[in-house]
Formats: sequence, structure tokens, C-alpha cells
Amino acid sequence: MRRQIQAALLLLTGSALLHISLLSQVYLRYVKEGLRPFLIASAALLLVLGLVSAVRDGFPFPSRRGDDESVDDEGVDDGHGHGHRDGPRVAWVLFLPVLALLLHAPPALGSYTAARETGNAVARVPEFGPLPDAGPVPLSLSGFIARVQQDRDRGLAGRTVLMTGFVTPAGPPAKDGTGTGAGTWYLSRLVVSCCAADSRSLRVRVHGKPAPPADTWVTVTGTWHPGGGALGTAAAAVAIDARTVRRVPQPVSPYQDTAPLPR
Amino acid sequence: MTRAAPARERPRGAIPLSVAAAGAVSLLVITALALSAPNHPGFRAWQTVYVALTVQALPFLLFGTVVSGAVNAFVPARVFSRVLPRRPALAVPVAGAAGVVLPGCECASVPVAGSLIRRGVTPAAAFAFLLSAPAVNPVVLVSTAVAFPGQPHMVAARFVASLATAATMGWLWLKWGRAEWLKMPARHTGHRTGHSRWEEFRVGFQHDFLHAGGFLVVGAMAAATFNVLVPRSVLDVFAGSPWLSVLFLAALAIVLAVCSEADAFVAASLTGFSSTARLTFMVVGPMVDVKLIALQAGTFGRGFAVRFSAATTVVAVACACLTGWWLL
Repeated sequence: MRRQIQAALLLLTGSALLHISLLSQVYLRYVKEGLRPFLIASAALLLVLGLVSAVRDGFPFPSRRGDDESVDDEGVDDGHGHGHRDGPRVAWVLFLPVLALLLHAPPALGSYTAARETGNAVARVPEFGPLPDAGPVPLSLSGFIARVQQDRDRGLAGRTVLMTGFVTPAGPPAKDGTGTGAGTWYLSRLVVSCCAADSRSLRVRVHGKPAPPADTWVTVTGTWHPGGGALGTAAAAVAIDARTVRRVPQPVSPYQDTAPLPR
Repeated sequence: MTRAAPARERPRGAIPLSVAAAGAVSLLVITALALSAPNHPGFRAWQTVYVALTVQALPFLLFGTVVSGAVNAFVPARVFSRVLPRRPALAVPVAGAAGVVLPGCECASVPVAGSLIRRGVTPAAAFAFLLSAPAVNPVVLVSTAVAFPGQPHMVAARFVASLATAATMGWLWLKWGRAEWLKMPARHTGHRTGHSRWEEFRVGFQHDFLHAGGFLVVGAMAAATFNVLVPRSVLDVFAGSPWLSVLFLAALAIVLAVCSEADAFVAASLTGFSSTARLTFMVVGPMVDVKLIALQAGTFGRGFAVRFSAATTVVAVACACLTGWWLL
């Protein structure tokens, strides 16, 4: 890879990182929120490096000085397939993610991934606080699942809850075992601890309302759907009898399992 | 980029076989997916996952390259001979324990270990550092404690098993390692008189970053392929058997290439598996995975990466099982 292309690649990589982290919130589709300062710092470093390279090595055409300085690198084969004047050839593949980010950033993971994961690993909650008295209770999916399967005081019994997630179509009902017929689907979320490669899914089966198209974000109100074991035991069905299903825009931070705002 | 090369003698500038093979496989996967269904959700998930792995690792790779470039240009070789014990057998555990101070994931430690070797640190000690740094640093230990609340013995077991693996691999390299397996760049022998240190730093840094970055993308594509193709439901098949589950989670750690700061959360979510199997996942993951193998092939040479990763896998599984039997 020629020096001038290296400079261009550094500048493009820096711009792509800056574009997704500082100028927009696109980075939240790929990594956790805490990585943002590091992404911005990396972008700044790459841009500075790319500018220095562009000035010293000539951009877009090689400068005479740049050629002179790298003369003593010529003729050195270091055994991994390239001389240093031309730079590493494998660096060409860096253009793929960089151009993808700049031109058409891949979407956040959705129902395809959620359907393929075995879901609902929820941390053990030592103690549940009382639910608010009035109105539907806004809950995160992990909060709902924890209360359904762990809350010995059965705080959810008879309560209407309010939850947001995206739609994952359920497979054939016989395969799942808990299904009560066609037309059920999952209200789901993917949660991420570091980047999208380690996503884990949370799924709540929805009964009583027809399935919206896959990957639509919806807010569902309803009550716990009895099935499996008793409420508050690990065998209790993670399911809801939906009363209303309302479309909502995709949240900016798609992998953060938060409760919707109360209505 | 694609200059034809005669088969017998590889001219300077030709693509090494490893890169060509990895590139060809990726291209095949891409075209197969792209032709069969351009908007297939699996392909889009694959794109998202490989871009996410790349974006997540880039800051750490940059950090590692800055440290390695700075070590090359600014730290004299005598510093290392003064800090590390003179006997290599003693230098190995010391270097392994020094991994505690590099807060980052595994992508940062590969270039740093490479620069240590170039500065005359005995390779065995540098490898112990390479293996232990991503596994025992404070960030990773804290995230392990958060992922396994109320189970401090899990953190202790991870620390002990990772250090033991790193030291064992260092000693194995002292006993049986061969210098000719290492194919390191010939350049970068520290500061040369008559050259500007800053210019050396910049050129070395730029080269190292682009080189490692390319291999990172290749590794991320491979990891994303496994990530999308392996359905999580196969997990349940292996959860029952104690021995198979250990081996299966070791293999899963290698193909998923989850960052070492997050793998504890993935391990915690594998609820059907025994503690020892989950410990194996966390010990193998930061030391061997497809992304790392690609990075190591780029930094140390292909022959080294294959032998080293295979040996590390065996040692890491053994250490994790022993530690699991002792502590868990």
C-alpha cells in the first residue's frame, strides 16, 4: 500500500470513528456507551496522524522528500510479505468496515439474532421493592423477567405492566412447548456488555394480539400470562396477555434494557 | 494489490498465504451470502457483528500500538535488562505478573509484546506478558466480579488459572521454543542515531497500526461468521456432560472472540454449564481466539501463531480444570 493511500486510509478511519461517535449516536449500535470517549480520542489521533502523513509523504501525490526519507527502507524484506516503503497489503481490508460506516452503517442487531439465542439469563435479584400503586407499571424486560421468576411475594399478580422492545416472531408453537397457538410472538431486547458480538437476548412471549412485523419497536401493556409454574418460581412462564400494542420509534441506545416512560 | 506471484519464490510484496486464504474464505462467504440473498437478515447481522468487533477493538489496538511505538523509539534496551531478572526462568513469572498493569483487552497486548521482543526481552517473558495482560488486569477482574456477584472465588480462580497458564507457556517456550518459528519484522530495532525519534515513532506506529488493523478486520470477519452461523441452541446439547462441556466452552471461546472485558458476562449467562466449564471459557478466551490468531499471525508469523495457539489452548484448559477442581 503506497504512502499516500496509507494517509488516506488513516484519515478515512479517523473520520468514520468521529462520524459514529461524536457527530452521531451510531456507535451505540455496535458498542457500549462507555467506549465513546475512547472512540473520539482514537478518531482524533488517527486524524492527526493522517494529516501529518499527508503533509510529510505528499498527498495525493508522493512528495520528493517522502521518497528520500524512505529510501533506506527499500530492499528490506522482513519476511511477512511486504517491503516497508509500500506498507502492509493486508491493510486494504480496513477499507471495508470504514467505508461501510461512512456510507451505509449496518443496523443494530434485531430479531434474527434474538430468535437464535437461548434467552433470558437474568441476574439473581436479592430483594424486590414494592411496585408503584397506581397505573400500569413501567418495567424493563429484565425487571419483568426477574419478578416473574424470582419474586416470592408475587408483586406482579393482577398488575398491568408497560414494557418496550422489538418484535421477534415466535417459531412454530409445538417446537417451543409453551406456545398456546399460532399468532404469538416475543417482545424482545438484546443487551450488550461490551460490543454487539456478546449480545444476549431477553424475550417475553406475547399473547392475545396479532404479531406486528419483525423488528418493529413497540410498547406493550398487559398482565402476566399464567402458564408453566406458579408466579414467582423459576418455572413460571415469561409471558404477557397484551391489552394494547403501540408502535414506538427505535430508541437511540438499542441495547440498553430500560423501562418505558410512564403514561 | 493482486500482483501474480510465481509459485516457487515469493517476491517481495506478494500476499502471504495466510492472508490470501483468510481473504479468499471471507470473500467466498461474502459472495455466497450476497448472491443467495442480498438482504438476508443473517448477512446484515454478520455485517453488524464484524463492524462492532472492529469498532470495539480499534481504540485498544491504537493504545497498544502507541505503547509499542513509544517503547521502540524512546525506551532504551537496558531498562528491560535492569527491571527483569537476569535468569529467563525467573523473568517469565515476573513478566506474567506485570500483565496486571496493562488495562486493556487482548488486542492491545499483541503489539506491545512484539515491541518487547524487538527490544531484547527474552521471548518467553514477552509471551507470558502477552497471555496474562488481557486476563488479569484490574478492568477485567472487576468486570468478572460484577458478572459473578457474591462469588469472589470465581475472580480468584480466573486470576490464578490465567497466571498459571501464562507462566507455563513461558517456561514451555524456554524449553522447546525455537527462534526460527518467530518471523518478526526486521525493522524497528529501536532508535537509530541520525534519525528523528518522532519521525521513527510516527512511521513505525503508522505501519504497525495499519498492519495489525488489517489482520484485526480479517479476524473479526471470521469471528462474526461463527457468531452468526453457530446457533446458541447447540449449547444445551453439551451442557450435560462435564468433560464435553469444558471442551465445548473452550472451543466456543476461540470462535466467538469476545473481548476479555465482556467475556465474564457471557460466561455468567451460560447458566446450564458447570463453574469449571465457565472458568475455562474465561481463561481460554483472552489467550486464544480467531481474532487473536489473525493478529499474532501478522505480528509474529503464521507458523508461530498456529503452534503457539494450539499449545496455549491445551495448557489453558488444563490449568482451568485444575484450578476449578481446587477452588470452585
